[in-house]
This record gives sequence, structure tokens and C-alpha cells, in this order.
Amino acid sequence: MQIPPVADYLIVAAALFVVGVVGFLVRRNPITMLMAIELMWNAGNLAFAAFARSFGDMSGQVFVFIVITVAAAEAAIALAIVVMVFRRRRDADVDDISVMRG
Amino acid sequence: MMTDTFAQTAPFTILFLPLLGMLVIAVVGPRVHRAASAAIANLAVLGAFALTVALALDVWHRPPSDQVLTVTYPPAWAAHQQFWAHIPPLTVSFELRIDGLSLAWMLIVTGVGFLIHLYSVGYMLDSRWYRTFFAYMNLFIFAMLLLVMAGNFLWLLVGWGGVGLASYLLIGFDMHRPAAVAAARKALIMNVIGDVGIMLAMFLLFAHFGSLSYKEIFANVTAAGTPALNWIGIWLLLGAVAKSAQLPLHTWLPDAMEGPTPVSALIHAATMVTAGVYLVARAHPIYDHAPAAAQAVAVVGCATAFFAATIGCVQYDIKRVLAYSTMSQIGYMVLAVGVGAYAAGTFHFITHAFFKALLFMAAGIIIHNLGGEQDIRNMGGLARRLPFAFWAFLVGTLALCGVFPFSGFFSKDAILDQLLVLHHPVLWAFGTATAALTAYYMFRLLFMTFFTGGFRGKAQTHAGTVASMSVPVALLIGLALVGGWIVVPGHDGLTPLLRAAFADTGTMAALDHFSGIVSLAALGAGLVGFVAAYLLYERPSGLRPTLRRSLQPVRNLLANAYYVDATYHWLFEVPVLTLASDIARYLDPEAVAGGAAAVARTATAAGDAVRLWEAGYVRRYGLSMLVGVVIVLALFLYLAGGTAALGGR
Repeated sequence: MQIPPVADYLIVAAALFVVGVVGFLVRRNPITMLMAIELMWNAGNLAFAAFARSFGDMSGQVFVFIVITVAAAEAAIALAIVVMVFRRRRDADVDDISVMRG
Repeated sequence: MMTDTFAQTAPFTILFLPLLGMLVIAVVGPRVHRAASAAIANLAVLGAFALTVALALDVWHRPPSDQVLTVTYPPAWAAHQQFWAHIPPLTVSFELRIDGLSLAWMLIVTGVGFLIHLYSVGYMLDSRWYRTFFAYMNLFIFAMLLLVMAGNFLWLLVGWGGVGLASYLLIGFDMHRPAAVAAARKALIMNVIGDVGIMLAMFLLFAHFGSLSYKEIFANVTAAGTPALNWIGIWLLLGAVAKSAQLPLHTWLPDAMEGPTPVSALIHAATMVTAGVYLVARAHPIYDHAPAAAQAVAVVGCATAFFAATIGCVQYDIKRVLAYSTMSQIGYMVLAVGVGAYAAGTFHFITHAFFKALLFMAAGIIIHNLGGEQDIRNMGGLARRLPFAFWAFLVGTLALCGVFPFSGFFSKDAILDQLLVLHHPVLWAFGTATAALTAYYMFRLLFMTFFTGGFRGKAQTHAGTVASMSVPVALLIGLALVGGWIVVPGHDGLTPLLRAAFADTGTMAALDHFSGIVSLAALGAGLVGFVAAYLLYERPSGLRPTLRRSLQPVRNLLANAYYVDATYHWLFEVPVLTLASDIARYLDPEAVAGGAAAVARTATAAGDAVRLWEAGYVRRYGLSMLVGVVIVLALFLYLAGGTAALGGR
């Protein structure tokens, strides 16, 4: 099976990342925003994996696992915050919780 | 050695007794009766006077070679090379100089000073700040004693500044009157100009001699060379001019008459204002080798003697006439020490202290009895109402005019005589002309106050001359009468001491000189002045209004004291005040306040701009992160050479 060139993977990764960025910037629902962040994480992971394969170096794949771990931790904390905010305000629009500004 | 111990300890005690008096009054004064404060002050000065007399006798009985003492405190330090201040290469000891010159001043400062303290006991009785007054007076006596007893220029300057402070405090003693406060400020500022002059002289002295001690400087005075000595003499003269109210720094003295009359008598007639004369006489080894500076001293003295006398002819305030008279008489003394007649200048200082203090105290009795009235146009005919003041004033006037055998005759003639002996005929002519003016303004004052018709004022006389006021006046009448015999030729008195003090100058022999012609000329000039005053003020005729009309411009010039005050006003006050008000009007609101407001506005605007990034909107943070990342990446690519980093391979 012909392995696609690394550039193709990078194109997909870039596309995923842009979708994540746009999603993060245009949506106001924190759950959706967390999902967009997840997209960006995984765009990065895809690039790591593609390069690891391309260079024949496993350290890129190791990074993918670390990133997944950190992303899980981030998601746990972020969801905890969202739950707390929702309990207090019966709502979870991120623009409405701008009271902590300087 | 009993006497040596005495000569060691007495100067120290004399100097610090008045200071002790001041401190005691300051500490216990409020807790004791006000009379006790007055008693403490009087006893302190009386004690200092008694010790000074004893010290003078002690020195008088010594051989002439031993009549100039320099005493160092503490005595043991001199032997052990210890000093009051040791800042290499400068060493300063606390040393006092006792010789004929300083003894003359010490005797007057403590003696006349005591009489005026005694006079103040009665004169100041109505004052709210009775104790404060005596504390200040004692402070003055201490500072003046330090000035004349100092054995080096540093301690002289300390005393010099101290008398300036005491003078300031006492001129402004009635601090609720704005005129008194302004006069005090003026005196202080003028005096500080003089202090700066002395400091400059001290810098030069230290640069050339490496010492400030009289003993070391005078021992090898010629080492500095004439130009340097001339400059030192000029700067010392600046100090003398300011302190002794000589031209052109004289304007503070007439204003200083705002102080209580005893203060005028003590500080602004008898003692402090003669400090300039003392300074020149003390620095005589310098002036002997600085002909240009000595010439300047003589010219300043002569000009002041003449011009102050002319101004005195048209004043109406009794104390102001006496103030201009004081300036004029100190002009005589400065003239004398300028031409090298140091003993004659000292002599005139002594007699002047007697009769001028007498005149001021007599004037004080009048003012006291007229409820504060000082304008002679509101007096007249007082000879019958206040006979004691009249006789005192008459004796003072005759002494001031140099009538034989009153004290002023001897001292003024000594000066005029020496001017001729030392070949200064022009200065002598001015001096003699001043004698005529002196007689004119003094008898004008006497006539207008005590005769010239009846009493013109509204104020009621109330008999209020207490014993403490009349006793010192009576004593001074005696001194003004016979004080001249202290240094009369062929008589002993202070002459041997002065001879020892001025032994290193060549002019002492002239002191024994006496010229009948000079005396007759001075007496004749005085007679002319007296006759003029008599004709104008005691013989009502058409002469006075006629003269008045034709001499109106001259009168205006004199009544405004040659517009010196106005000149200073336009030269110094107006520019400074204009500048200050311009700053207050334009620079302050525009530049200073505007600048501060601009800083505040900038900070606010910067804060507003930064706050936009801290809006609390998560998506905005996300956007700024994105923009930041893009910028950083673009920068990276640009720096790495564009495609080379992208293409990678």
C-alpha cells in the first residue's frame, strides 16, 4: 500500500486546526469551545504522528501520548469549571461570565 | 601665679555669663516672677562688667610687652596639640584675644550694656514678652562679646552672625506690627551680605596663611603680598559696611528703629553697629599692608559720615534723626580706622557709645511719656514738661557736636587732627563740614522737641519715668561729660593698652598730637550749624519759608535718603517680584500644573488601552493568542529566510 506523502497529513492537520480555531472563536457555548480545543490538540497530534512516521523516529509518537494525557487533564478541569458555573448561573455562555475582567 | 590664673579664667567667665543668663531665663523664666527674669539678666551683665573691669586692671598693670593675651580653652589643650576642630590642614582652637582693643569694646558692651539692661527694666514694663526681651538682650551681649573677644576669624564670624540674629530678633520684637517684621527681615538680609563678605575674606586668609588665627596671620602678614591683602581687606570691608550701616548697605539701620528704644540704644547705636570699626581695627596688620583697601575704607567712612548727616537734617522721626546721626558718627570711626588712626577710631567709639546711648535713652523717656509718639512735629515745648529728659538730651547733643569739655570733643578732634597729621586734607575738609551738619541737625532736633513754641501734639504726658530709667541716664550724663578724659593726651586711662594693641602700626605716635587749629575749625563749624538751626527754628522770620521753597528739590532728595531704598526696590525687589508673579501666573498653571495633568491623562489613556485586553471575554483572549502566534511564526519564517524553513528538506 502506497503511503501518502507527509504533506497530505499536514494539510489535513492544518485543516483540523483551522476548524478548531474558528470553532473556538465563533462559538459561545463552553462545551463546544472545549470540543474545538480538542480538535486543535488532535491536529497537532496528527502532525506529530506523521512526522514520526516520516522520520522513522518514535519520539514524535511518544509526544502524542503525552499530549493526549495533558488534554484529558485540561478537559477534566475545564468541564469542572463549566459545571460549577452552570450550577451557579443556570447558563454557560462564556461572554456572560466576563465579570472577572481587570 | 594668682594673676595668670585670673587672666585665664576671667575671659571665659565674662563671655559665658550672659549666655548663662539667657539660658536660665529661658528655662526657669516662665516659672518665676517677671522681675526675677530682669534681675537675672541684669546680674549676668553686671557680673560680666565687673570681671571685665578687673581683667582690664590686671592687664593694665602688666608690662607693655605682656598686654596682648591670647587665651586658649581648655588651657591644657594648647600644650597637647589638641584643637577644638582639626580638619587637616585646618586647625581651629577656641581662643580668645584680650588686648586694649577688645577690652575697650568689652568694657562698653558690658558697661553700657548693663545700663541699658537696667533702663529696660522700666521701659519694657508694659510688654507682654518681658522675659523674652531680657533673654534676647543677654543673647546679644554674649554674641557681641564673642565677636570682640574671639582670637581667630572663625569665632569672630560666629559672634558676627550671633549679633545679627539677636538684632533680627529684637528689631522684630513687636512681631504683631508688620513694619517691625519687615525691618527685621531687611536688617537680617543686609547683614548676611556682610557675613558672606567675611566668609570670602576667611577663604582667602586660609588660602594664603593656612590658618584663621589672628596670632598666626598677623605674625607673617606680609607673606601674602599686597594684591591678596587688598582683596582680603575689600571683603572684610564688605562685612564692615553691612554691619556698620555704611554706604551703600546702610538702608537697614533707619528701619531698625522699629525695635524698642533700649534695643536701638544698645545694638543700633552703642555696640553692634560699631562692629565694622572693630573689624577693621582688629585686622589692622592687613590694612597697614593693603593701601588700596584701606583707602576704600576711608572713602566709604567719609562718604557715609557726610551723606548720612545731610539726610539727618530733614527727618522728622526723633529716632530716625538719631539713626542717621549714628551712621554719620560711625562714618567718622570708619574714616579714622581707614586712614590708620585706629586708636582715634576706638576712642570715638567709646565716647559715641556714651552720648549716643544717652540720646536714645532720653528719646526713649520722651516717647514713653508721650504714649509712643515719635514725630518731632507733634512735640515742642517739652523742656518744661520733661526737664530731666531735656538736660540729658542737651548733654548728649553737646557731646555729639564736640563741644569742649564734653567727651565728643576729644574723640572727634582726635580723628580730625589725625586726618591732617596723616595728610588727608580732603577727608579732613569733609569731616569738618560734617561737624557743621551734625550741629545743625542735632540742634534742629533739640529745638523742635523741647522748644519752638508750645506742645503741638495731642498725646497727654503722664509722669512715668521710673528710677530704673533715670538712674542709667544720670550715669550716662556723667560719662558723656567726662568720658573723654579716658584717652586724653598725656592722661593714662586706656591709652597704654591701646598703644600696646596697635604697637605694630606706625600711627600711634600721632595720638599724642593735639592741634588747636583743628579744634577751633571743628568748633567753628559746629557753631555755624548751631546758628543756622537757631535762626531757622527759634527766630520766626521769613527766612524759613523762603529757604524751604527754593530748596524744595534738595529737601525731597534728602527726605527720601537719596532714593537709595527706591533704587534697591527697583533694582532687586521689583525684578524678583515680577519674575515670581509671572511664574505664578504663567509658568505654574501652564507648565507645572499642565505638565502634571498631562502625565495623569497619559497614564489614564494607557490604562484604558491596556484594559481592552483584559475584557474577560475568553474568545478575545483566544483571538489575541492566535494573532500572537501568527506574528511569532511569521517573524520566525522571515528571520529564517522564508522558504528554507518551510520546505525543510
